Amino acid sequence: MNMKITILNGDMSNGTSDLSIYIGNLARQLKENHSVDVFPLHKMNLHYCSGCWSCWWKTPGQCAKHDEAEPIFRSVINSDFIIFASPLMAGFTSSALKKTTDRLIVLLHPYIKLKNGESHHRKRYDHYPNFGLLLQRELGTDEEDIQIVNTIYDRFALNFHNERKYTRFIEFTNADEIIYEITGNTAIH
Amino acid sequence: MKLVIFNGSPRYKKSNSALLTEQFLKGYNRFCPEPVPVYYLANYKQREAAAEIFKQAETVLLIFPLYTDCMPGIVKEFFENIAGESYSPAKKVGVIVQSGFPESIHAEGLERYLKKLVLRLNCEYLGTMIKGGVEGIQSMPPSMTRKLYGKFQVLGEYFAQNNSFEPGITEKFRKPYRFSRTYIVIFTLLSKTGITNFYWNGQLKKNGAFEKRFARPYLD
Ligand SMILES: Cc1cc2nc3c(=O)[nH]c(=O)nc-3n(C[C@H](O)[C@H](O)[C@H](O)COP(=O)(O)O)c2cc1C
Repeated sequence: MNMKITILNGDMSNGTSDLSIYIGNLARQLKENHSVDVFPLHKMNLHYCSGCWSCWWKTPGQCAKHDEAEPIFRSVINSDFIIFASPLMAGFTSSALKKTTDRLIVLLHPYIKLKNGESHHRKRYDHYPNFGLLLQRELGTDEEDIQIVNTIYDRFALNFHNERKYTRFIEFTNADEIIYEITGNTAIH
Repeated sequence: MKLVIFNGSPRYKKSNSALLTEQFLKGYNRFCPEPVPVYYLANYKQREAAAEIFKQAETVLLIFPLYTDCMPGIVKEFFENIAGESYSPAKKVGVIVQSGFPESIHAEGLERYLKKLVLRLNCEYLGTMIKGGVEGIQSMPPSMTRKLYGKFQVLGEYFAQNNSFEPGITEKFRKPYRFSRTYIVIFTLLSKTGITNFYWNGQLKKNGAFEKRFARPYLD
């Protein structure tokens, strides 16, 4: 089955890091059977969310910023699976990735619903693709760091009506395994 | 005690964070009259200079809004800029996280992150205050914010004297952690009347956008 896959690459280097090379290779293999969008966030013209709420009460569903974010919003909401890729920096995913996930609030609706005794914003779209985390370790990354990152992304998933399917590290997982986990089809020849 | 405050709201000076900081400092200055510098991470120049200012401070307070159950992107950028160093002598670092939703469970992962971050910097962690239900204070009449602001003044007074967060208010602010059964029942009933959407509908109508509120502009 042909899938639509969105990769948000939060690498903050000039694109020559192990992570970006890994993603390049992963995307190339995925493209053999799927449509893949890769966004090198740090190299794109992307502003920080300024909390103006235009997307909720002035131009519903549409961000007021004129930068390169719109193709990301389109790709994310129309895809079957998202990969959030990032080096760990100061114990969390990069600011390039975080600023992008902040902006994804445009895909939600302001109205509030309760879920497990918690407030959440209701869906604007019918379907929110699940995601996987693809991380690169930093000096000192330990089990606690990974648990914290997972907890925060699981909370992100609660807000975004989707699920975190896995967290993988480029140091320990080869691209074939990632592809297998996304598509259920082994790419091992 | 040389105190420095970093405001991490992307809304800059027009933020709820700024309003709460103002109240905190009102209380603080009753005991420590020396003016406290406040730096805004939303301002590009101040964000660039922030790591250097952090280096020189003795006590640091950071206040920012919860963004997708985590810190906003600009605050993460600041963390990246101050990380990778071990600060000696250790600074005291406290955090105030305020959010739209009333329940503190949303900030649970972030709180663990902040504690670990401060230890990673080799600094002394003064704790994280979590206060939900803050969205909307900008448009509230004074009668509705008096209590909240009063508490922030008390926090400031206490901080000036003890260099830490007043434990009673800190604990109160965290409530509710999650909603109770009773609240859920009431909310569910009220949501049938549409009143739970009151705040958003008011704003949508004011902007002439009410009819388009369910738009899905990015669907292929
Ligand atoms: C992009 C974005 C994401 C947000 N995410 C959350 C959230 O996950 N939980 C929450 O309770 N409030 C959330 N809020 C609401 C803010 O935390 C709240 O409005 C806060 O009071 C804003 O403070 P400020 O004016 O100092 O920026 C979010 C707001 C924005 C703009």
